[in-house]
Amino acid sequence: MIDPPIISAKELSRHYRVAEKSPGLMGSLRALWGGRNRVIVAVDNVSFSIQPGEIVGFLGPNGAGKTTTLKMLSGLIYPSSGTAEVLGYVPWERADPFRRQFALVMGQKNQLWWDLPASDSFELHREIYSLPKDRFRRVMGELVELFGVAKLLRQPVRELSLGERMKMELIACLLHEPRVLMLDEPTIGLDVVAQQTIQRCLREYNQSKKATILLTSHYMRDVEALCQRVLVITNGKLVHDGPLAGIVQRFGAYKQVRLQFAGEAIPPGLRLPDSATVMGSVVDLSVSRDMVSETISGILEQFPVTDLTVSDPPLEEVVARYFQESASGAGA
Amino acid sequence: MALKRSFASYLRLVAVFARFSLTREMAFRGNFVMKVLLELVWLGILLVFYRTLFRGVDSIAGWDSASFLFFLGCYYTLEGVVETLFLENFVEFSDLVRTGNLDLHLLKPIDEQFLLSIRLIDWSTVPKLFIGSGMMGVAVFQMGHPVSGWTLALFAALFVAGVSMAYSFLLILSSTAIWMVRNQSLMELWWLFSTLMRYPRDIYDVAWAWPVRMVFTFVLPALLVVSVPAEIVGKAILDPWWICWMLVSAIISLSGSRRIFIGSIASYRSASS
Amino acid sequence: MSSNIGSLAMDSSLSVRLVKSLTKYFNIFKVSLVERLAYRADFLLGTFLRLLPLVTTLLLWKAVYANKDEISGYTYRQVVAYLLLVHVSRMFSSMPGLASGIARDVRDGNLKRYLVQPLDLISYLLAYRMAHKVAYIITSIPLYSVIFFLCRDFFDAPPDPCWFCLYATALLMSFILGFAFEASLGMLGFWFLEISSFLYLVNTVNFFVSGHFLPLDLLDPWVAGILKVLPMQFMAYFPAALIMGKAGDWNDVVWGLGIEAAWCLGFLAMARGAYALGLRRYGGYGG
Repeated sequence: MIDPPIISAKELSRHYRVAEKSPGLMGSLRALWGGRNRVIVAVDNVSFSIQPGEIVGFLGPNGAGKTTTLKMLSGLIYPSSGTAEVLGYVPWERADPFRRQFALVMGQKNQLWWDLPASDSFELHREIYSLPKDRFRRVMGELVELFGVAKLLRQPVRELSLGERMKMELIACLLHEPRVLMLDEPTIGLDVVAQQTIQRCLREYNQSKKATILLTSHYMRDVEALCQRVLVITNGKLVHDGPLAGIVQRFGAYKQVRLQFAGEAIPPGLRLPDSATVMGSVVDLSVSRDMVSETISGILEQFPVTDLTVSDPPLEEVVARYFQESASGAGA
Repeated sequence: MALKRSFASYLRLVAVFARFSLTREMAFRGNFVMKVLLELVWLGILLVFYRTLFRGVDSIAGWDSASFLFFLGCYYTLEGVVETLFLENFVEFSDLVRTGNLDLHLLKPIDEQFLLSIRLIDWSTVPKLFIGSGMMGVAVFQMGHPVSGWTLALFAALFVAGVSMAYSFLLILSSTAIWMVRNQSLMELWWLFSTLMRYPRDIYDVAWAWPVRMVFTFVLPALLVVSVPAEIVGKAILDPWWICWMLVSAIISLSGSRRIFIGSIASYRSASS
Repeated sequence: MSSNIGSLAMDSSLSVRLVKSLTKYFNIFKVSLVERLAYRADFLLGTFLRLLPLVTTLLLWKAVYANKDEISGYTYRQVVAYLLLVHVSRMFSSMPGLASGIARDVRDGNLKRYLVQPLDLISYLLAYRMAHKVAYIITSIPLYSVIFFLCRDFFDAPPDPCWFCLYATALLMSFILGFAFEASLGMLGFWFLEISSFLYLVNTVNFFVSGHFLPLDLLDPWVAGILKVLPMQFMAYFPAALIMGKAGDWNDVVWGLGIEAAWCLGFLAMARGAYALGLRRYGGYGG
């Protein structure tokens, strides 16, 4: 038996305009009389649906359209075309009952009163959502325990650390027990410990309330820890909808190695694969994970290396590569 | 589940906001004292100016020293009401638009206009209410004729109408911040508006100023805001036409500004990403 | 532009350094001017709206003078002329946001920008403000020309063309005085965390004390006497009174200009001194 989806998006697109100003004095003068506009496609024809109780990750590089999609699903902005349904409502009609069952957390935005203790902001939240007192007390008690912030409740928010503040921010959003929770970069800027606490709490909230969670992140870790299913979006297009496993494999498969050799150019006798790029005495290599130490030690033994870095390839690249591969795979 | 929020619930929210704002002010007491001091300096300037004017002459545009004082008291109180309840909110509103923090407020299941108009209460301007009322009291005492209960009730109604007009003006201005990229001069525009309220409208009774007078009486009726209520007590003028026009324009500006506000939110929602 | 500035530190010969330094501040001037002009509607609208308070004030004074020809030596025409001229003074001497900007830079740690680059904060700000003023004055010229033309009947013929030179000197110095005064205030940011309301308070007092509101001579004589000793009068009252012939004869005016120059130097020195002291303090807690 399949439940009807709790979130569904059909062919959602979002365009917006930005004013262009050419540089220099003349440009500024021209801008005084109204400049030209450029249309930007933030989200391009995105469709998916999510079942109740799922935790789904929205993955993609910065500026790919994750946040814009979330804003459309939360009703903050209108789509340029397409339809969506969340909790049985069209989100951008912003019906009161819809707003009462739903929450959006934005990692970079702060809704708590800066100079007051978090508990005061919670009280305000109760007033705004007209929550009955006893229910409010019970839920707040549960959440405070879950997040382990009982001692911090009476402290002005500005004195809290970033991680503590984010926990409070989450509690504020969960007080009305939303059935759908959307999170936009909830762990941005947090240390690993705080990230893990938040992940754990979200998982527990999801399990105890059967809530549906949709979160964006450009940290692989969040998504790995929470989501069985991911949506990958680049340049506004949905390029992957499915289990996380495939992505992680590809993401973890290669490391980027950058080598700087002594001297003006790379040493003669160094043999490089075709995929390597050379700039002066700097070489960038893509090395499969299990070959990294072997490759590097081989080079270090024979050649004068002055600097060396090993890093994960940027998400943009992984996603782009993934997309190319899956497209050519489908063609074959 | 369509919960219609009760009037009492709105009042409770205002009380919560007032309490929060006070707690916040008290966290920065020095700043608060400074702001109160600033209001007192303004009052000082206003009174020195008043004294300087009446040092040279006995009456200005038909207002003698006592009735002019009543006018000033009325102006000062009305400005105090607007600044206490609304001004900071509207300044903040432009900020919210610029920083994108408006989003968080739009998610709440509550009327946006209410939430954005009354979130912050500025306690530092509360003394203005008392001082202004005190000035009106002294002026009535100096004028030496009693004010009837009816006059007082009418005055109160017109005063509320005046506040509504000023509120609408601010709402329209800050709503347009959504269309104008960088509206940094809301305070300045408010100051302009209050400039038009600051003196009795009789001074605009000059041939070359008639366009100004017409525009700010019938298009953007800033000249009425303080003058009409103050005339009722200060000059004992009861002109039904003006009273009606004042009430009508208060209603028009309230509904018009709400429409513009809603339009601007809609436009915000279709223009941002 | 920043690489341009970075390379300047290499040169050592004095004259080259001077020329390059001028180029540097000219570049700052140019960039700031461009930025300033980009304000679009706000800018034009703001300029236009400044007119209304003027109209209101004129009307008030007209009402005041309805049954009287002269108050404290000023006729209606002279009050109007004064109030218009005082706008010109303020156009030069007002520095909106200068002090609060400095205080903010101190508080947010943006000051490091000036410490890392071979840039002197005060010279940088002066160049920036000059750009700001030039842009503002240029865009205001058409408007003020119209106003002064419409109000030409309110002005008496100037006593002597030479007085315009004195007037120009007084205005330029009022720019410097306004700058140095605000900059000095901004340095308070080194000692106090939050000074914005204090600044607002000072500006409000200044508005009155400098004579922006009404000719100082109209006040009770003892009040006027005190206010004319303060430096603030040079930011509004003095230049206006000078060109109206209300600031005394040639000797008095030259003497007044001397005092104004002294105040300018005094406040510049104060800004510099406070900056030096403040930097020491800033470095003290690790900045």
